[in-house]
Amino acid sequence: MKCKKIERLLLQSFDGLLKEKETEELENHIKGCFLCQEKRKQYQAILDSLKLKDWPEPKPYFWERLQPKLKEKQKYEAWLVWKTWSMRAIPVFLLLVLLLTAALVFIPPGDRVELSESGVLLLRNLNPLEETRTLFEEEKVENKNMMLIFYTVEEKNGNGSIYYEKQL
Amino acid sequence: MEEKELVRLSKEGDDEAFAALVKKYKMKVFNLAYSLTRDAEMADDLAQEAFIKAYFALPKFRFRSEFGTWLYRITVNHVRDYLRKKSRMNKMLYEGFKENILVQEDEWAKKEQAQIEKQRRKLVHQCLQVLPENYQVIITLRDIQGFSYEKISEILNISPGTVDSRIHRARKMLRKKITPFLSQKGGSHEM
Repeated sequence: MKCKKIERLLLQSFDGLLKEKETEELENHIKGCFLCQEKRKQYQAILDSLKLKDWPEPKPYFWERLQPKLKEKQKYEAWLVWKTWSMRAIPVFLLLVLLLTAALVFIPPGDRVELSESGVLLLRNLNPLEETRTLFEEEKVENKNMMLIFYTVEEKNGNGSIYYEKQL
Repeated sequence: MEEKELVRLSKEGDDEAFAALVKKYKMKVFNLAYSLTRDAEMADDLAQEAFIKAYFALPKFRFRSEFGTWLYRITVNHVRDYLRKKSRMNKMLYEGFKENILVQEDEWAKKEQAQIEKQRRKLVHQCLQVLPENYQVIITLRDIQGFSYEKISEILNISPGTVDSRIHRARKMLRKKITPFLSQKGGSHEM
């Protein structure tokens, strides 16, 4: 077997990934190959040297030091969100103002429509004939005439609208 | 309290729950940062920054993996960014270190075993730090931290097959870097 393939097996052997047959292959090759024996020694020494003997500890008060940093960052994040949204909102707002101005300038205002009293009542979903119903329902002619006179007087004095308002 | 519960509370903004998670993982996160940087001061800073990143990334944590694995991933990625920035400086240090070692060859032979061992470790770590950052990370996770292939594949978000081939290439490259120092006859740093 070629040394290149053996090197792969050799490296896998350090992680205990070899099957029994592969281990046998590896050992048989290494027995008769000086170069691979050297390689194994070197890899083993490298892996041993990588292992740390003395692990330092983090500085004391880890959480106490972390907490103010979190708070500070929280404020910054909030400001960042506000900034991002405001940066997006500014052009949208400007666009709206522009559109509104354009609408005011280019769209001519429509003619004002004066509504009659019955029109106003219809708009308010009220029967415009309500006030005249009593007049129509009156059977005596002299009473009907009197009512007509009073209505006319009220309308002249501007009290008719008060009547409507009260009805509303 | 269970870890899942602590994570859930932390997601809702409970600082005490997050403090408990920090307490549980600070050593592991610090050790991971330290094994990648070999600088305790820097490892402390990087560990703190990794926790800050994790805190603000918590809303995105969906419990698809263990919290620890997710935290290691954040730490590894954060330290990777640092290593990328630092890689140029490491190459310069390595060149200086290489020259220094060759000059001191004879002196080394006289040194005591403990010191030789110490120098060898230093050499191996110096060589490790000039490897591409992908290889540094995988060797650190496997050969220093001792994580299983499955765990590494989860942390780095790569397949176990990729973990296997990357470890293979990384170890080969590390040996290649160290070879110039190994060939010195009778040198005490001979392996």
